[in-house]
Amino acid sequence: MRRLFAGLAAGTFLLATAACGSSDDSGTSTGSSSSTGTTTVELGLIPIVDVAPVYLGVKQGFYEKHGLKLSITTAQGGAAIVPGVVSGQFQFGFSNMTSLMVAQSNSVPVQAVSNGIASTGVQGKDFGAITVKKGSALRSAKDLEGKKVAINTLKNINETAVRESVRKAGGDPDRVKFVELAFDQMPAALDGGQIDAAMVVEPALATVKSQGGVEIASPLVDVAPDLTVAMYFTSTQYAQKNPEVVRKFQEATAESLAYADAHPDEVREVVTTYTKIPASVLARVTLPKWPAEANRSSIEALEKLGEQDELFTSPPDLEKLLP
Amino acid sequence: MRGTNLALGAAGLAAFLALGEAVPRLGLVKEAYFPPTSRIAGALGDELADSAFWTALGDTLTGWALGLAIAVGAGIVAGVVVSVVPYLREATASTVEFLRPIPSVALIPLAVLLYGTELRSVLLLVVYASFWQILIQVLYGVQDVDPVAEETARSYGLGTWARIRHVLWPTALPYVMTGVRLAAAVALILVITAELVIGAPGLGARIAVAQTSQAVPEMYALIVVTGVLGLLINVGARTVERHALAWHQSVRGEVAV
Repeated sequence: MRRLFAGLAAGTFLLATAACGSSDDSGTSTGSSSSTGTTTVELGLIPIVDVAPVYLGVKQGFYEKHGLKLSITTAQGGAAIVPGVVSGQFQFGFSNMTSLMVAQSNSVPVQAVSNGIASTGVQGKDFGAITVKKGSALRSAKDLEGKKVAINTLKNINETAVRESVRKAGGDPDRVKFVELAFDQMPAALDGGQIDAAMVVEPALATVKSQGGVEIASPLVDVAPDLTVAMYFTSTQYAQKNPEVVRKFQEATAESLAYADAHPDEVREVVTTYTKIPASVLARVTLPKWPAEANRSSIEALEKLGEQDELFTSPPDLEKLLP
Repeated sequence: MRGTNLALGAAGLAAFLALGEAVPRLGLVKEAYFPPTSRIAGALGDELADSAFWTALGDTLTGWALGLAIAVGAGIVAGVVVSVVPYLREATASTVEFLRPIPSVALIPLAVLLYGTELRSVLLLVVYASFWQILIQVLYGVQDVDPVAEETARSYGLGTWARIRHVLWPTALPYVMTGVRLAAAVALILVITAELVIGAPGLGARIAVAQTSQAVPEMYALIVVTGVLGLLINVGARTVERHALAWHQSVRGEVAV
């Protein structure tokens, strides 16, 4: 008995010291800005085609022109980016719209600032698609009932979109068996028959197509015409304290998006500097659209579908979330 | 004996590489997802010619070395203190047994929250995982001290520090070296995992980029590099162990009774 008490006491002590340690550390986290007119901001990105405009913008000097120096950190997936921005490790981040709405409905203080990417809005010619193996009997999203469909994250934007495609094709989305699989593993899983269909985005989509895979639906187009898929965001706290920096970031990013939209060849070139997409695959990749402004009505449509699929604990407040 | 072992090792490796070449070539698995050895070797060549690869390797090794050094230092100090101070071992035993099985990877969200994707979040995971390897070995090592030798030292009037230096440390050292060898391997695994999952700069992040880019041969080339690193680290740790324990009967096999 005495042993137990001694152990408990030591455990409490350790926890107490650990707690002190962590509060000390968070106190020293730096928000770097200098008086010379150039502000350095940390930006957390996923190394994918979607964020090419930012790399192009840096290359073209758009951010520099607006007095910003971008320090880009690539993180693996949004999982590291949202907490990174909220805790102040990054000032800005890149995330899909559903994740941002889920975060906000869970009282995570995020605030979208600039448009990220939009779907092309063209059926059968989007950067994301539901694909099936060559020779598959599945012809439309309705056929997915009772089938195993891979999506990258359950209860997120791609599940919402696929469910909408099934609904629009006259099927019951509740009867689809969703499995979680990373995009890069989908081509092999599809080819090997472990899954019946996959919701893939580029560059995995190009790989699937090169194996003779067939697109049967464009879910991001089904959600809304010209859906705003992802946006750049910051924490509410940072936005309140640094409205000037946020404005500069918005202006420079809008310029970068417009430039990227107008120069697809330069986009394909800059992508090779931060990804390892083979040239043969990159040439076949369908690029997304990069409008400078987010499409509000498409985000509302995404929100409604998300609510229908019960993704949010409380309805997200788009007034506060969107710039 | 040593020559034979080396030859056998090389033969085993050669057979493995040949199998890696043959399996995809024979169509047992698709070449697109499991490229033959020669294509991986080609991709490896391209990697070695890329300066960004060497930066990534440097980042990974820095994380590994720093993490291991901190874990070894902290593990030895904590282990000796816990063993030497009366009652402390009983007081910490249950806490250690509670904390030790927590997988380091489960701490990734905490690491990201505290330090983002920088080196410190990698270190947090590495140190957490390898610290226990050292600590437990030090505790076992100290427990192994011969009570007669301990009493003799006491009756000759040796102070605490002298007893740690001359009685406790030589007994514990073989255990500590085992701990260091285990921790070195664990630290490497954790550095790569942290880079893969969090995206902190290094080989792991490079593997992740190759994965999401559908660059399959490059991905395998990088995985081969991490395997080679693990091999080198193990060989290195064994060499250090042999030198540090040159006086010990486990190494001086010929005089063992």
